[in-house]
Amino acid sequence: MVGLGYRREMADWDLSAIEADFFEVVSENWMRRDRAPLHRIIESGRPVHLHGVSMNLGGPAPIERAFLLKLRELIEDIGAVHCSDHLAASGDAHQLHDLFPIPFTMAEVARVSDRIRHVQDVLGRRIAIENSTWYTNRGDVPEADFVAAIAERADCQVLLDLNNVVVNHKNHGGMDLPTFITRIDPARISYLHVAGHEFDARFGMHIDTHSQPVESGTAAMARLMQQRHKLSVLLEWDNDLPGCDLINQELRCLKTSTPT
Amino acid sequence: MSEDFYAYVRGRTDVVPEGHSEAGMKVYRHLVHLGASQAIEAQHPEVRQQLGEDAWRALIEDFVRQSEWSSHFYGDLPDEFLAYLDRMRA
Repeated sequence: MVGLGYRREMADWDLSAIEADFFEVVSENWMRRDRAPLHRIIESGRPVHLHGVSMNLGGPAPIERAFLLKLRELIEDIGAVHCSDHLAASGDAHQLHDLFPIPFTMAEVARVSDRIRHVQDVLGRRIAIENSTWYTNRGDVPEADFVAAIAERADCQVLLDLNNVVVNHKNHGGMDLPTFITRIDPARISYLHVAGHEFDARFGMHIDTHSQPVESGTAAMARLMQQRHKLSVLLEWDNDLPGCDLINQELRCLKTSTPT
Repeated sequence: MSEDFYAYVRGRTDVVPEGHSEAGMKVYRHLVHLGASQAIEAQHPEVRQQLGEDAWRALIEDFVRQSEWSSHFYGDLPDEFLAYLDRMRA
């Protein structure tokens, strides 16, 4: 199964022409908005997964119960099977609306796992945590082990973002993609994310822009993990969105077999 | 993450926090600035046009330095900007 991250620019698209088996939307965008477009997608036979960007699982501020109850209402309204957010912080005591790293330490494993358990208690279901792109961090636990340890301790799923692993490896070295995935229990993976990224000479770093085609090695790994573990894969394309034809071409590249 | 990490991200200090790379810290500062700039410009495009690039950049930098956003919703950010302008006028 291959899916596509739904973005507001797609509101005018004929979604029946998009060769996606499912869609994923940003949870926050639909908590206070008319959900008729989501219901139309679901009625067309394609499920909608929820992916949040501001839960602040790794931050210091308490996670607002009112926000979680709004999310729960959304989950129940659209019958979402998958709900996820990032293994990241959203800011200091306040929201800075970006994704900041959590120190790779065992103390943080314990602290963040407790926060995820609290979230799951309020939502009444398991969530998935996405391994995030990070541009600087501290701590001595390898990232893959950090993610795996939190997933075990919180008893949550992992939304494994293959592109983020590649970006982090390019920027910092450490585990490459084939090594990273051996550290994550496949039974805990909800599905996969893939996207493209760009090198930014101003910083001398690769930036997770979601504005380019998926690299061939990343796409190949996504196909392999689909075949090996029956995992779905979702394409994220958020900036410089191309037309339907190129999106469909990217989706076809992720499929393990082409329908005849 | 420690307070000095976010102090750098917000532009309250240029001292790179211990254990972090300067390049990575600059990326985070850039991303937060970009996010604020895009959200505010989307709803108040006239402000950027009237101020010009240098003054616009300085205004967003000051907003990020002082901001006290709490909403989970990125779309609420321009409201926080208006509250910031009110505080500045007071």
